[in-house]
Amino acid sequence: MGQHVRLWLSELWEWVEALLAGKSTPDESELDFHVAVTARAVVDAVVPETPELGDELGAVAVPGGLAIGMETFLVTFVDGLFQFGFPHVGTRGNLPLAVPMAEVLDVAADALVARGDNESEPDVERAVALFDAGDTSPRRVRRNAGAFATLSRRDRLRALGLLDEFELRVSPFGHGLFEFDAGLVGQLVVGFAEMIYYSEWDGYDDFSLPPSERTHPNDPAAVQGWRQTGYPGVADGYAALRGYVGADDSPLGAGETWTTLDERVDVVRESGTFRENEYDTTGYEEPYPE
Amino acid sequence: MVASHYDAVVVGAGGDGPVAAWKLAEAGRSVLLVEAGPFYGNERWPKPNESPGAESSSSVDDLSGALLDEQFTTRELEMIRKLVFGPADHERGFWLRKFPGDGAILQCAGVGGTTLHYTGCHPRAYPASVDEQPHWPIDYADLIPYYQEVEAMCEVTPAPVTAKEELFFRGAAAAGWDLLDGLNVTEPGYRPQPNAIRQPDPRLHVDAGYGGDFSYPDVEGDTLALGSIAGHPFPRGAPYEEKAKRASNISFVPAALRTGTVTVRPNAFVTAIETDSAGIDHPTATGVRFRDTWSGRVETVRSEVVVLAAGAIETPRLWLNADLPRNEWVGRGMTIHFGDNVMGLWDAADLESRIGQDTIDQFQGQDIAARFDYPGLGMLQTVGTAPGIGAILGFGSSASGFAFQNDPADAPWDTVGRLAGAELKRLLSGYRRMLQVLVVSDDRPHRRNGVTVAPGIEDEHGPIPLVNYEPSAGDRQRRDRLAEIAAEILREAGATHVHRSDSPPTALHVHSTMAMGKVVDEACEAFDVDRLFVADHSALANGVGGANPTNTGQALAARTAERILERYF
Ligand SMILES: Cc1cc2nc3c(=O)[nH]c(=O)nc-3n(C[C@H](O)[C@H](O)[C@H](O)COP(=O)(O)OP(=O)(O)OC[C@H]3O[C@@H](n4cnc5c(N)ncnc54)[C@H](O)[C@@H]3O)c2cc1C
Repeated sequence: MGQHVRLWLSELWEWVEALLAGKSTPDESELDFHVAVTARAVVDAVVPETPELGDELGAVAVPGGLAIGMETFLVTFVDGLFQFGFPHVGTRGNLPLAVPMAEVLDVAADALVARGDNESEPDVERAVALFDAGDTSPRRVRRNAGAFATLSRRDRLRALGLLDEFELRVSPFGHGLFEFDAGLVGQLVVGFAEMIYYSEWDGYDDFSLPPSERTHPNDPAAVQGWRQTGYPGVADGYAALRGYVGADDSPLGAGETWTTLDERVDVVRESGTFRENEYDTTGYEEPYPE
Repeated sequence: MVASHYDAVVVGAGGDGPVAAWKLAEAGRSVLLVEAGPFYGNERWPKPNESPGAESSSSVDDLSGALLDEQFTTRELEMIRKLVFGPADHERGFWLRKFPGDGAILQCAGVGGTTLHYTGCHPRAYPASVDEQPHWPIDYADLIPYYQEVEAMCEVTPAPVTAKEELFFRGAAAAGWDLLDGLNVTEPGYRPQPNAIRQPDPRLHVDAGYGGDFSYPDVEGDTLALGSIAGHPFPRGAPYEEKAKRASNISFVPAALRTGTVTVRPNAFVTAIETDSAGIDHPTATGVRFRDTWSGRVETVRSEVVVLAAGAIETPRLWLNADLPRNEWVGRGMTIHFGDNVMGLWDAADLESRIGQDTIDQFQGQDIAARFDYPGLGMLQTVGTAPGIGAILGFGSSASGFAFQNDPADAPWDTVGRLAGAELKRLLSGYRRMLQVLVVSDDRPHRRNGVTVAPGIEDEHGPIPLVNYEPSAGDRQRRDRLAEIAAEILREAGATHVHRSDSPPTALHVHSTMAMGKVVDEACEAFDVDRLFVADHSALANGVGGANPTNTGQALAARTAERILERYF
C-alpha cells in the first residue's frame, strides 16, 4: 500500500511542480523515462566520464558518453536494430527492445544484490547523479530508477556479467513471444555501445535521416571517440607501402631490399607470387585429437 | 516480374552463389540469381536503402562505380547498419537469429553477400583438413583446378607490407617461425595474405613522396586505406570493375551478367522450395517461392535445378522451413572457426626502433594482410580496424567477464576479459600504438552445433534460425594454443601489454551445415531431393582447417556448377 501511495503522491507533486514552473506536464511516458534512466546508467558505466584519466592523458580523455548524448541514441538504435518483418505494423515492424532491455538489466541487478556479489550498497542517489541539476526532477528520477541505475559503475558491469543466465522475453505486437538468451542485452549495452561510442556516430548532423541525406564532416573535431583514440577519420588512401615479403630462395618478392626482417627474410620492392607447391600430408598428426 | 522459368535458380548472391551462376551461364544456361538484400552500385537502384527501385538487373552496363562511391562511405557504423543481414529499407532493422550468449553472427545481405564485409583474404584450405581429417568424401587435389580458376578471377596476390605487417612479421620471425611461400600449406609458419585485393600503385611507396589524390585514374589498385569491412570502394572514382577488392559483386557478378543469360533479382527473400511431390520420400525440386522485401508480394519461379547459396545459416533454415524430407544432418555440424582476439600495445620508443615510426596506425594498409598458419590448429591474422569495430570485436565481449574481475597471474597475457569504463578508455587512447590479432581456430563439426527452427518463433519469412554453438574440449585447446602463439609473437615484436579477449563464440566464418557426404553428395546435390544443389559454405564438409573459407567455398561452387551441367544439361 505504502509504495502505491508514494507513487501517487510523487506524481501529483511533480504535476504541481510543473504547473508552478509554467511548464506543461512531461509528455514522455514513465515507462520511457525508466528506459532513459537505465540507458544513462549503461552509458555511464561503459563509457564513463573519467576525470582520473585527465592527468595521465589530458583533458581530451575526460568526457564520456553522457557528454555527447549517447544514451538517447542508444535507445533509438536498440529499438531499431532488429525488425520483425511486418512493415505495416508500427514503426516499420521493428522489434522494440529498449523496454525489455531495461527490465532485464534490473533483473540482473537484483540478482547481483541477492547473491551479495555487489561491492557497494545500491543507492538511488546514483541514479539522480546521472542527470545534471535542472535536467529533470530528482523525485521523478528516484521514482523511475530501476535497480540497475542504483548500482555503482563497477557493480553495473558485474550485473551485466550475469546476463547470460537469463532469458529475455519479448512480445511484439501481441504476436507470440520471443525468448532470447539475455546475452543479447549484454551485446547491445556493451559491444554495441562501445562500437557506437568509438564510431563516427557523434559527427552526424542527424543519423535518423535517410543515408543519402546525412552529412558528416569526417573530422575528429566533431567526433569525441575519434579525438580520444587519435583516429583521423576515414581516408581514401595512404602512401604507406613498404614493399613485399621476399627471401632469397622464394618467388614471393623481388627487387631491392627495403628492410631486413631476419637473416633470411626481407621486405623488398616488388611483389612476386606464391608457389604452386607440391604437398604431402602423410606425416600429419592431430595436435589435439578429438 | 521476372520470367516464370529458368534453367537454374540460384538462391543468394553472396560469396559463392554468383560463382555458380557465372559457370552455369558461361555454359549457356539461363539463370535467375535471387538475393534477399539490395544491389549496391547499380543504376537501377540509385537509392537502394530508401526506395524499392527497379525489379531486376540483367546487364553489366547497369553497374556504376560512382554509385558505389556514394553508397559505400566507409564510415563504420553507417556501413554496418547498411550491410549486415537485413532488408534494404534503412528504416527497418536486421533480420533476427537467435545465438547463444553475447556472441553474434556477422553476415551481410546484398549482392556480394558477406564478401561485402570480407577482408579479401583468399588462402586455400589446409590440405590436411581435407585429406587427413575424416570429413571430406573428396580429395584436396580435386579442388586445385577450381582454386586456380577462382584465384585468377579474384586476382589473388601476396598482400603488401605496411607498418603493421612489418611489425607482425618481425615478431613471428623472432619467435622462430618460418616464412611460408606456398599455396598448399602443410607446415606452420607466417606469410603475407594471399589477398583478393589488387596490389597498390607502386607510387604509394613510403619513399616515393606521393602527394597526389588517392583516386582513379591518378592511382590504380588498392590505396592502402582501411575499409574492407565497410565496403571498400577504393580507389574512389574507379569504374565498378576496377575497384581493388575483388568481392564477389566485383569479380563474379559482372562476369555473370556479361554472359547475357543471368538476371539478378535483389530484394527478394526465398521462403520456399517447390517440389513436384511434396511429402514423398524423394521429391524433385522444381522452383522457388520468394517474397519482395519492400512490397511483401510473393512470386513463384520454376526451374530445372535449384541451387541453394543463401549462406550456412539461411540455407539450412530454408530447407527446414520447406516441406522436404528430414535428414538428421540438415543444419548440423556447424563450424565457425571459434575465434578470439589477442591485442598488443606498444610504447612509442619501442615502435620507433622496430618499424621506424612511433605509431602503428592500423588504419593504414589493407585490413588484414599478414597471417600465421598452423595446420591442425588454425590460423592467426593481424586486423586493422577503425576504433568502433575494433572495440566491439576485440573488447566488447568475453566468455570470462570483465578484465577487472580476472587475474591472469602467469598467463602469457597481462589482462583478459571484456573491457569497459576507464580501462577501455585508457586502452583505446593507445589506438594508434596497438595491433589486434584474430585467432581463428580449426573447430570441428559436432552434430549439436548448428541451426534449428521452431514453429511460432518466426518472422515474415517463417521460423527464424535458432543457432546453437558449444565448442568441444579439442576446439578450446586448439584456440588456447593459438592464443598463446599470438601472445608470443606480439611480445617478440615488442608489445609491452598483451590483452586477450577470450571472446564468446562469434561467427564471422560459418560453414558445414549442409555438409558434403552428410546432406549433399560429391556433386553437392541433396541426397534426399533431386535437382536440389548447395553451392555455398554450408556444403563444406568441415571448416577447411581454419583457413579463411571463401576461396574453398567458391572453388567448390565452381565445381558444383560443372557437376550440375554434367548431370542435367
Ligand atoms: C568482417 C568479416 C570479414 C571476413 N573476411 C573474410 C576473408 O578475408 N576471407 C574469407 O575467406 N572470408 C571472410 N569472411 C567470411 C566470408 O565473407 C564468408 O565466409 C562468405 O561470404 C560466405 O559465402 P556464402 O556464399 O556461404 O554466404 P554469404 O556470402 O553470406 O551469402 C549468402 C547470400 O544469400 C542471401 N540470402 C540469405 N538468405 C536468403 C534467402 N532466403 N533468399 C535469398 N537470398 C538469401 C544473403 O543475403 C547473402 O547475400 C569474412 C566475414 C566477415 C563478417
